[in-house]
Amino acid sequence: MTSARRAAAEAWAFRARVEQEAALRFDRLAAVVAGFDPGSPVPEMMRRAADDERRHTELCAQLAGRLGLPVALEPDTGQASIAPRSLDERQAALYEVVAACCITETESMATLTTLMAAEPDPEVRAVLHSISRDEVVHSRMGWAHLSRESAAGEVAFLAPLIPGMLAGTIDDGLFGAPPADEDPEGLLRLGVLPLQQKREVFLGTLEQVVFPGLEKFGVDPEPGRRWLARASGLG
Amino acid sequence: MQFKKLFQVLVLGGAMAGAVAASACAQANAADKAKKPPADAGTTESGGGVKGW
Repeated sequence: MTSARRAAAEAWAFRARVEQEAALRFDRLAAVVAGFDPGSPVPEMMRRAADDERRHTELCAQLAGRLGLPVALEPDTGQASIAPRSLDERQAALYEVVAACCITETESMATLTTLMAAEPDPEVRAVLHSISRDEVVHSRMGWAHLSRESAAGEVAFLAPLIPGMLAGTIDDGLFGAPPADEDPEGLLRLGVLPLQQKREVFLGTLEQVVFPGLEKFGVDPEPGRRWLARASGLG
Repeated sequence: MQFKKLFQVLVLGGAMAGAVAASACAQANAADKAKKPPADAGTTESGGGVKGW
């Protein structure tokens, strides 16, 4: 097996688990948000997103299997909130929605857009295309919820918590050196960003999409910007 | 990568989606705050993030 095929199989297997976790999270958050914001369109968007994520789980697992790494997914189990204990229910829901949708789904959408433009193999392209149509909505529902919460009350408490969200989003190796045997062109054909490109997409998305979006809805982006400068070695 | 377009599609598009029934939401929120004391709902000490693609 080539280094690109091995790395891609691992990436798609990881994505299958990420998508499975997202389905559980969206199902749980839909019920919570509906409890305090019954007029919101977000819970219904989340329920549909959970169904999307289950479909994505299968697509990613199938692709990992075809690349040589069969995926054994754990059965659906309960999933705890990632929010700090000090937050109340409504704040904790906002924390999770911002972490999962405004940050992670927005980053995923940028990654998918970049991968689609890189001429992947036809089978990979079909999967990327199918997933990207849904991920647009998954990111939007985060911004939809943040905009509603911003209009309804206080969201500034999130600002000092953004660095923790960002730290939990990235892999340890994102700002390190790429593997010695990395095959950038082979990775792109199989739907995976080489490390340098992954870093550029991550930084660009934060600086030009996520941070301006947070600021627009009343969350000070400066703590996040300071974290990013330190983490990326620019600060 | 057209980040400007992503901002428009995702951030601004999301805000438009969330604007549906916003006034009804504000009323419901006010009622909700009045009847329910905040309950601790987070489960970690300092919070975490969500891994993605």
